[in-house]
Amino acid sequence: MPRPEINEITFVVDGREVVAPAGTMLADAAKLGDVDIPVFCYEPKLGQPVGACRMCLVEVEGIPKLQTACSTPVRDGMVVNTETPRVKAAQESVVEFLLLNHPLDCPVCDKGGECPLQDISYGWGRGTSRTVEPKRHFEKPVELSPLIAIDRERCILCYRCVRFSQEVSEDYQLILHERGADTFVGTFDGHPYVAPFSGNIIELCPVGALTSQAYRFRARPWDIEQSGSVCTLCPGQCNVSYTVRDDRVMRVLSRQNDAVDDGWLCDRGRFAYQSSYVDDRVTEPLLRDGGVLRPVSWERALAEAARLLGKTPAGLGALAGGATSNEEGWLLRRLHADVLGSRDFDSRSGASGPAVSAGLLAALDTPEAQATVPDVEWAHSVLVLDSEPVDDMPILDLRIRKGVRRHGMRLAVATSRPSSLDSIAEQAVRFAPGAGEAFVCALDAAVGGIGDVAGLAAAAGADAAQVEALGRMLREAGEDVVIVWGERLTHGANPDNAARALLKVAGRLSLLDDHAGAGLLQVPSGANGRGLREIGLLPTAGPGYREPAAVGRSAQEIAQATIAGQITGLHLLHVDPVQSFPERGLWEQALHAGAVVAHAQFLTDGLREHANVVFPAEAGAEKEGTVTHPDGRLQRLRPAVARPDGARPTWQVLSQLIAAVGGQATALTSMMVTSEIAEAVPFYAGITHDEIGGFGVRWQEREAAAAFPAGETGPFALEDPRPAASPNGALRLGRFRSVWASPEVAHAPALKFLAPKQRAELNPDDAQERGIRHGQQVTVTATGEDGSAETIAAVAHLRAAAPRGSVFLESGLGAESVDVLDAALVHVNSDPARPA
Amino acid sequence: MTHKLLFHDIDEPGLNTIEVYKRRGGYQQAEKALAMARDSIVKEIEVSGLRGRGGAGFPTGKKASFIPQGKMDKYLVCNADESEPGTFKDRELMQKSPHTLIEGMIIAAYAVGANKAFIFIRGEYVQQAEILEAAVQEAKDAGYIGPNVLGRGIDLDLWVHRGAGAYICGEETGLLDALEGRRGNPRLKPPFPANQGLYQGPTLLNNVETLAAIPHILAVGPEAYAAMGVEASSGTKLISVSGNVQRPGNYEIELGMTGREIIYGLAGGPDPGRDVFFWFPGGSSSPVLTKDDLDLPYDYNSLAGAKTMLGSGAIIVVDDSNSVVDVAVKTASFYKHESCGKCTPCREGTNWTTKMLKRIQSGEATPMDLDVIESVCDQIMGNCLCVLGDAMAMPVASMVQKFRPQFEQHIETARAANEARLLAELDAAAPVLEGIGH
Repeated sequence: MPRPEINEITFVVDGREVVAPAGTMLADAAKLGDVDIPVFCYEPKLGQPVGACRMCLVEVEGIPKLQTACSTPVRDGMVVNTETPRVKAAQESVVEFLLLNHPLDCPVCDKGGECPLQDISYGWGRGTSRTVEPKRHFEKPVELSPLIAIDRERCILCYRCVRFSQEVSEDYQLILHERGADTFVGTFDGHPYVAPFSGNIIELCPVGALTSQAYRFRARPWDIEQSGSVCTLCPGQCNVSYTVRDDRVMRVLSRQNDAVDDGWLCDRGRFAYQSSYVDDRVTEPLLRDGGVLRPVSWERALAEAARLLGKTPAGLGALAGGATSNEEGWLLRRLHADVLGSRDFDSRSGASGPAVSAGLLAALDTPEAQATVPDVEWAHSVLVLDSEPVDDMPILDLRIRKGVRRHGMRLAVATSRPSSLDSIAEQAVRFAPGAGEAFVCALDAAVGGIGDVAGLAAAAGADAAQVEALGRMLREAGEDVVIVWGERLTHGANPDNAARALLKVAGRLSLLDDHAGAGLLQVPSGANGRGLREIGLLPTAGPGYREPAAVGRSAQEIAQATIAGQITGLHLLHVDPVQSFPERGLWEQALHAGAVVAHAQFLTDGLREHANVVFPAEAGAEKEGTVTHPDGRLQRLRPAVARPDGARPTWQVLSQLIAAVGGQATALTSMMVTSEIAEAVPFYAGITHDEIGGFGVRWQEREAAAAFPAGETGPFALEDPRPAASPNGALRLGRFRSVWASPEVAHAPALKFLAPKQRAELNPDDAQERGIRHGQQVTVTATGEDGSAETIAAVAHLRAAAPRGSVFLESGLGAESVDVLDAALVHVNSDPARPA
Repeated sequence: MTHKLLFHDIDEPGLNTIEVYKRRGGYQQAEKALAMARDSIVKEIEVSGLRGRGGAGFPTGKKASFIPQGKMDKYLVCNADESEPGTFKDRELMQKSPHTLIEGMIIAAYAVGANKAFIFIRGEYVQQAEILEAAVQEAKDAGYIGPNVLGRGIDLDLWVHRGAGAYICGEETGLLDALEGRRGNPRLKPPFPANQGLYQGPTLLNNVETLAAIPHILAVGPEAYAAMGVEASSGTKLISVSGNVQRPGNYEIELGMTGREIIYGLAGGPDPGRDVFFWFPGGSSSPVLTKDDLDLPYDYNSLAGAKTMLGSGAIIVVDDSNSVVDVAVKTASFYKHESCGKCTPCREGTNWTTKMLKRIQSGEATPMDLDVIESVCDQIMGNCLCVLGDAMAMPVASMVQKFRPQFEQHIETARAANEARLLAELDAAAPVLEGIGH
């Protein structure tokens, strides 16, 4: 549903004339006239007001009863009074009612000092109490989940948390038990409330009933300060505010930016800060000496790294991880491309195979075709293609749910693995793992109403009737169509074809025209995937999507070349390919074969075993620089706390490396690097930190966007797409990466319990044929072309929505990861050593 | 002479079967209505002056006229969650003449264009629900419900849905939430159910007695129905009389009789030697009247004039053998127990009031607590999400206001009794205390 047009109206509150958008709730509109109406249950982020707490009762002239300002939309000419004796009496009573059962333990309550109930009691309460009755008692505090403690005595039953669980994250776990004054918040049967977004209820709670287990009793509001930045754990790039006490991050809060996050955070973003304060974090330069990594001086480490990278007689390869900032990526590129003359670098996290060519990248990222995050919410229809938002870009999951629930957006999901969005999708279509390209070709035929839908769908392992229905829906739902597509669609053997097919579908739906509200939104596999692409940290594209003089090696080719001895030095910036790339075996060999210089927060498997030099990297809260959101919004990282003693900022280390290998170190500050980028990328021209500001700026909305290069708009003639592998008794192997599979989760004490275990998701019919039951131990075996077999263990997880003939396993789990298996087909058997 | 409509044949054996019901003229009005224009039925109901019999007394025809036209799914919901203490008229109606309700629903559904209808019946009415279910099946078999009703191209489905025993589900929006499978909590209004009710569709919600009256209105004609009773209180009304009377039960009356005629005339008054102390004229949520009010005409406007209400037509008589304190505690406890907890004044106010009244009852209060009770009731009234809070505040406040001397007397008596008991205990303990050196 497209955004409604909003007219302005004039109303009067407490004698002041105020202009406000029509339909705004009085509680919000009054603020425009500097009138504060107290609220507890009202929170616009939660959707429709419920009018439950009755704190916001006001007098509206012409209406006999007091009205709740949270649920009364302003109308032209409305006259509102918030300070009459009648209103005052009602406000005082509500405060009195709420305090009847609220313990006066503010001095030991985490919320004390930043508590709406405290503030409102002082501001609007009577100041004295008339009650002599005993208060309500509950066991307290109890663990609502390992992350959240609940003190039910403090709860004022505004049920914001329950509404969040029911209507925002839609995990439906929190409910109200009992009735009346006995009501309490909990989960069915007392199960722990574990869900990807559970931490938001801590921030929503207007009292100290829900507290963070990680923050509880660690600081008081007068000890702390807030510092705004951006989370770089995933492409969602939510705006955060770090709570800092004594130069240490104590918690992470949302810093609401409606264009990015709507004021929510996922639990990884909220609690991963703990991983900066663990013993095994790298805090000083390390050098491999006698087979062991030992701390050394910065001079020694820099000299050694310069020797390994600079004097390398053969080739040099570089990889950048998703959390790499634009500035770090730019200096890495300068070091390798401009100083050392190598073109072999890649920034696509976890990508196997070649990269999309520059012209097609430009066609996909062109401003005309770019959908924004809010567009997802207001579109007529949205197709989620080959992406699982809750894992790949969690915050987008909430935005999609919001669109469906509140704006009647029609959702379609087309993935291999069953999606958590299936239940709210009008169409949920499955295709074989790795057959994204064939599927998009089939979809193109269906949308266009031409071509062999049945044949193409069969090649994709998809149901032709479902593909037809999906095509019909996208065609007929309305002009504002947004396709949210996962970068993994272009991680196959022929990414250019996948990109062309996608562009064809987009063209048929008129998404490539300059039409606001419709377009493409890519979910990159790295947090700053878009920024690194735009500064040219790709084998196939230079800064600003320029065609490079010569195409460099992709990640996989870098590994192969290293094993073959053509590359002797590997430079790893915030990435451990052994941990995060599909071919774990290949990368182990490559890291073993080459000299490795790395920048990392943690010694993950590959680095611990093979790195020669490791430079300490900053944690998110320590970092300065910029990142680019998937919809083109440049955002600023601002350091909230100091780096550990002995660490240097990575941009500085890279700059020093440039000097150490004989280059010209031009950057003396991070901001100077930003300026270099703004000069090199035409459509970033002139951008400054000031302009980016607190909420970021989309480059598409600046004048310089006109300098965006023309993309390849050719005829998009497609060859026959590669059909999905025929399972023929085996199962097609699909890979997925859980939101919880990350070093930050593994290292944050609060989140450790969420670190995933390997599981094999398969269709119940496939399981039955193999005598496998839900929860049973299984082995998954891949046989290589040379006859060698690799096996990993997993727990069978049967999902009715999984497509027949496929099995899905998790990547990013270290040695038990699916990345050990290098094959398209696998055999799944019940584990003879551990029968059911 | 009182006309009997709803209760005309009520004790006819087998009236709950379609056979007997039809023999007594049943379903003729449905057949007639389905041949009429939809808006002319709504018009007839408006002319009849029928007011909602559930408690609020809103003009039924007017409510039906709020249902928007259009092709969207529309719903008819019958509120059979009869939970107000003292009210048991719908129970007898559904038990003895379920087809009257079904016939009324067929006509109402047709009139507003609803083709899905529900009867939400309280869980405790097991027998009545079973009778209704059997009657619905009979009506389906006879072609009065189902696809193509009576061959007129209209579809009507009707379900009997049993509640789970919460008073709040008798509040219309709480009922809708419960019917949708959610916790029965009232919704914010607006939007009103007529626009966004069940499953967000336009919904006509009426009480059992209201819907059951419709066939009778069509039978006697709207003008004749309007001529019964008095101004603004037309037609006949079922009233449930209970408490300290010799002949408790349901009576069908024309509104406008006096309280005395009902309580003494129909129900036989209190036991010999006892006198009326006070009475609830419209269920336990109505402000109480004293014996001085017995000659008040029993109709909507007269009762409103006396700052109380006709409500569901449930008269509870309390004679002078009772303590007003006990009645107040019972009343407040009921609403405290039934408060859903969604909005603050009701959740906390009913709980607090009950605690204070219990302290008064047990002699641990002072007359100042009466002031607090009055002020708490005052702050509940009109400030809640629905009227459940008011349902406690109105009768309790009225009792405290009208019988303050009795409350103060009780406080003093109970306090003195406590003190005497304490002293007696101390006396009894004195030898022991002396023995240990005190």
